[in-house]
Amino acid sequence: MAAWDLAISVEDLGPDAPPVTLSVASDLHVGGVILKLVEKTQIKRDWSDHALWWEQKQQWLLRTSWTLEKYGIHADARLLFMPQHKPVRLCLPSGITLRLLACFSNPVFQTVMGICRMLNIRRPEELSLLRPIEHKKKKKAKDLDEEIYDLTEVPLSSASRPCLYNGMPAHFADSSQMEAIYKMLSVTQPPPAPEVIAKQYRPASVVDKAHIHGRWLDSSRCLMQQGIQENDQIWLRFKFFAFYDIEPKYDVVRLTQLYEQARWAILLEDIDCTEEEMMLFGALQYHISKVSQSEPQMMSSSAAMDDLESALQSLEVKMEGESSTASEMLETMTAPDLNDYLKIFRPKRLTLKGYKQYWFKFQDTSISYFKSKEESIGEPIQKINLKGCEVAPDVNMAAQKFLIRLLIPAPEGMNEVYLRCENEQQYAQWMAACRLGSKGKTLADSSFQSEIQSIRSFLAMQKSSSSSHGNVPASDESINTHSLVSPRYHKKYKPKQLTPRILDAYQNVAQLSLTDAVMRFLQIWQALPDFGLSYVVVRFKGSRKDEVLGIAPNRLIRIDLGVGDVVKTWRYNNMKQWNVNWDIRQVAIEFEGNVNIAFSCVTADCKIVHEFIGGYIFMSTRSREKSDTLNEELFHKLTGGHEAL
Amino acid sequence: MDDIDAMFSDLLGEMDLLTQSLGQETVPPASPPSTNKEVNFSIGFTDQNESLNELEDTDLDALMADLVADLNATEEKLAAEIQGLKVPSPPPSDLPPPPTDLSTHPASSYASPTSPASSTGSSVSTPASSATSPIPPPQSSKPTKEEIEAQMKADKIKLALEKLKEAKVKKLVVKFLLNDGSAKTLMVDERQTVREVLDNLFEKTHCDCNVDWSLCETNHELQLERTFEDHENLVEPLLAWTRDSENKILFQERREKNEVFKNPQNFYLWKKDKKALKDIKDKDKELLVQENFCGTSIIVPDLEAVLHLKEDGKKSWKQRLFQLRASGIYYVPKGKTKSSRDLVCFVQFDNLNVYYGKDFKSKYKAPTDFCFVLKHPQIQKESQYIKYLCCDDARTMNLWVTGIRIAKYGVSLYENFKTSEKKAAVSSVWTNRSTPSSSNPSTPSPTIKAKSPNQANGHAPTPQPGPISADFGNIPPPPPPMAEILPPPPPDPAFPPPPSLPSKGSPKPSLPQRKLPTNFPPPPPSMDNLPPPPPPPPIDDAPPDFLPPPPPTSGFGSLPPPPPPMSSLPLPPPPASFGRMDQSLPPPPPDPEFLPPPPPEPVFTGGGGGPPPPPPPPPPPAAGGGGGFPRPALRPVGSVKKMPPAPPKRTTPSLQGGGGDGDLMSELMLAMNKKRGAH
Repeated sequence: MAAWDLAISVEDLGPDAPPVTLSVASDLHVGGVILKLVEKTQIKRDWSDHALWWEQKQQWLLRTSWTLEKYGIHADARLLFMPQHKPVRLCLPSGITLRLLACFSNPVFQTVMGICRMLNIRRPEELSLLRPIEHKKKKKAKDLDEEIYDLTEVPLSSASRPCLYNGMPAHFADSSQMEAIYKMLSVTQPPPAPEVIAKQYRPASVVDKAHIHGRWLDSSRCLMQQGIQENDQIWLRFKFFAFYDIEPKYDVVRLTQLYEQARWAILLEDIDCTEEEMMLFGALQYHISKVSQSEPQMMSSSAAMDDLESALQSLEVKMEGESSTASEMLETMTAPDLNDYLKIFRPKRLTLKGYKQYWFKFQDTSISYFKSKEESIGEPIQKINLKGCEVAPDVNMAAQKFLIRLLIPAPEGMNEVYLRCENEQQYAQWMAACRLGSKGKTLADSSFQSEIQSIRSFLAMQKSSSSSHGNVPASDESINTHSLVSPRYHKKYKPKQLTPRILDAYQNVAQLSLTDAVMRFLQIWQALPDFGLSYVVVRFKGSRKDEVLGIAPNRLIRIDLGVGDVVKTWRYNNMKQWNVNWDIRQVAIEFEGNVNIAFSCVTADCKIVHEFIGGYIFMSTRSREKSDTLNEELFHKLTGGHEAL
Repeated sequence: MDDIDAMFSDLLGEMDLLTQSLGQETVPPASPPSTNKEVNFSIGFTDQNESLNELEDTDLDALMADLVADLNATEEKLAAEIQGLKVPSPPPSDLPPPPTDLSTHPASSYASPTSPASSTGSSVSTPASSATSPIPPPQSSKPTKEEIEAQMKADKIKLALEKLKEAKVKKLVVKFLLNDGSAKTLMVDERQTVREVLDNLFEKTHCDCNVDWSLCETNHELQLERTFEDHENLVEPLLAWTRDSENKILFQERREKNEVFKNPQNFYLWKKDKKALKDIKDKDKELLVQENFCGTSIIVPDLEAVLHLKEDGKKSWKQRLFQLRASGIYYVPKGKTKSSRDLVCFVQFDNLNVYYGKDFKSKYKAPTDFCFVLKHPQIQKESQYIKYLCCDDARTMNLWVTGIRIAKYGVSLYENFKTSEKKAAVSSVWTNRSTPSSSNPSTPSPTIKAKSPNQANGHAPTPQPGPISADFGNIPPPPPPMAEILPPPPPDPAFPPPPSLPSKGSPKPSLPQRKLPTNFPPPPPSMDNLPPPPPPPPIDDAPPDFLPPPPPTSGFGSLPPPPPPMSSLPLPPPPASFGRMDQSLPPPPPDPEFLPPPPPEPVFTGGGGGPPPPPPPPPPPAAGGGGGFPRPALRPVGSVKKMPPAPPKRTTPSLQGGGGDGDLMSELMLAMNKKRGAH
């Protein structure tokens, strides 16, 4: 065979270096070309990650046994010899950017699997990559400033699951910097400053949201084919809102990042919620940030450690039970005393105008009051059982007003009672006691002290937020409540108005552990009516106006853009088949009962819609039995389109 | 802590019973009179005394269980006074229903014997005290302390006693109205869930145990009705009833309770047209349940409707567009969009329950009769804090009430459904099996064993398993079960008729032949305590069943058998019960048997009950009132019934036998001491 010259650029020689010219024959296979090339460069190094990229065809020459002829390569081909893994700046759901090596040659689906493996995120099929929102030029400068965590030194491994060390992948145990990165991945970030929230891009309409979903990368093609360059920024996000098999023990990073994505979705109003729900989300964020600072270990302990711990705990309990004497038992049963002079006001009783001072005594779940301390041995003037009552704060630090409003249920209705405390300390104690009482708990309950603590820290918040003007939070004691809610509420309420409302919601979650609080946050998020909807602006066949298609884990919905109403819902389980006509870029779906719909996509490529539908169907095929192996082939079959064939 | 409390409570159980019977204000749901309680207690004592003797051998736990059983039996026997035998007891139990026995019980915890001497001592002391100063329970407590001091480290015990009081476990005797107008009465412990009570009622009524069986609370004054969820505790909502309340607890099938799991499409796809919903495939239904109840988060149907709202304190009804979300009910303010951020919160569900309103069209001039209400469970009378909502049709109302329940209770509803499905499946199998076994009427014991498992639920500590099954037979009231029952016992044909209420009374006779029959005959086995001799024995059997293992309750269920005694019982019941006990005791060696069973903890309470007897006198009146309702039915039954054979058997088993009259306290003391010594 005749030999001819093939020019190949070697990336490692630098952009300005001339291409290396080889003399090849058409029956030479790609592996042989690479061998010749490496010899000619005379550089000794590990070339194993390198491969040839054919620029005109936008294609990697990964089959080393194929000949140049088979690939159809001629002398005019512009070939580039470069590593398959290149660094990218990966923006996590938490908003933090990592620098790590991503695979540029495999389909994005596998690239994501590799990234998730490195970060220790299970169920990588639920995540994907998307192009970032273009920043205005001003912001670009700022991007350079931000701290970037570097993971490019992590060796590439192909093991399906990294071996764990201390509950984290071994590569994070190499150095203290690496451990710090893992901590960043697995511990929730502190609440952002209100200005940071305000500056972020917020989709203002369904159409804006639809544009975001037009940015998803194609899972069946590689990064190189999609124009992603070395050191480009890409976002890693949860794409399919069908979170399978969440196990807090093994899913530390997954849960943390999922929480971050949910939190930002709430803060940026990517998903709508009511004011009450927003306050609860705020309270949970506050609690999570507080607890994650005090017990950061909890999330990162390994499974083995957990088992050991729980074993030890149960042993302890057992021994306690066996060894404790009556006196010890009694000690633990003894509730702290709580009695003091307070003022009471009952709005409904005409006889008691204004606040009157009595000696109050808290017992079991009841409050009794007496004329004076001296008379507290006898019958109380009244005994109020707090069980099942509503407790609300009415506090104004500046005015030194510390009121506890009680709504006590009785057969005739609810009785309103106000208790007035003199100072912060007194208020925190009595408020905590009332809250416990309303839940049917006594002061002997172990949560009494922590309840007092949390009330005081909330009071502290109110104090600081009224004096300073929403500066970056210095400590958890002084979180600006504007950091916990979306900008809409920044305008509606001042921080000190927000504090009591969040505190109100907080009392229901204050006792949750970190994991439980994160799970609760996710549950409430998932229970929102619009949860899991990804929007695409489409044009239905036969319709003259744009409409929005909402893609959810179990259904498709058609939304009228004008009114915002859901016009129609189709569930996947009624779907017989769906087809994409790649030539006219139209998606056609047939449902049972002879229902046929067809639409073209306006804000996203129809491949994205195709992938969403196929992806959700794939998600629903996952089951316990085969939970450990990811059926990649099936995913591609369902989402690949013509390219997969 | 809990364990500790429980232990103490066990020990002190007897004391508590005494004190409670005297002073506690039980909030009896159905029946008003507190007297009933007292009666029960007193009853317990007499029997207990006898049992105590036997107890010496057995362990304290067994005592506890026995006592409880005795109490039940005694209650039932209240009526029996005249007869003097235990037999009558059943009816009484029905009567008393209303009052609740608050007696606290520690029972379960006590089981742990380790608690040793101190605990035993305390328990003993209580009884003793009671014995000494029978009249005022409270006083009794003092004596106990003294005794304790003598024997044990007094200080600790005193403290413990105080704690125990705090930890008292409340018990109520509750009357459950059945569809046929009859009633069943059970003692319910505050720790028991509705599910457990339902299981006890299943055993008592022989119903088909399907998933629709429910307990409903009716509020007479507000014309409300609510189906309890199976995971709820029953006692707590009953305690909210006012003393003079005419509220009732119904035991009936409610389709709507689990409808969302049977036809989820009607709730989650409510917007679709009816035909599409009807044609939905089973696998799609399954998928819907999976999607909405088995994920990380429970999904609440996204309901939206124009409902009529009765404005606070006003008579008029105003229309508003409401939306249901997991976090509460919202409405769209005038001139605003339906966007989430504009919604105004109407209510959240933390402190509210949802009720069906009955006949609101005439009561409140509601636009339709399809109304539901949201209120704090403790509110029992008209109040501005009650939210009244009115729907255009029944479907909308059910949609909303179910949706609210899902939002409020979440996954518990689904778990309840699965549990009740299992129960239904098991019981159907069970009945099949049992029937055959029952076929051998004569051989009670074998059958019993087979059934015994079920009984396990009940206290059924009794030695003879067979009886237990018999208990079932007693229950017959529900027709369906009857059928089932019948088959097995070929011979009985004659009996079949008795079914319903009468059945209770009649059952005995009939029972023997049928499945029940086995029970009846065996009744003795159950030991319930009851004194064999008297005809009523059947009652006894019943009690055991009820008595669920859990310490507390136990068994008042005895209702069925007693009929005859009933008539006599009515007035005297409370006091009578005591007397009965005594009477019964003598003959009944059976009681003793009970003791042996080792049931567990419950015993204590029983013990407590014992002492009080003397004081009971006052109760009688109350009891009479309480009894009034039930009695009617019962009496007839009673008359019908006879006290068949069963009793005798029991007697045989009875351990203590005769002891009867002796002071429970002293007996207990002895037993305790022995035990202590052994340790």
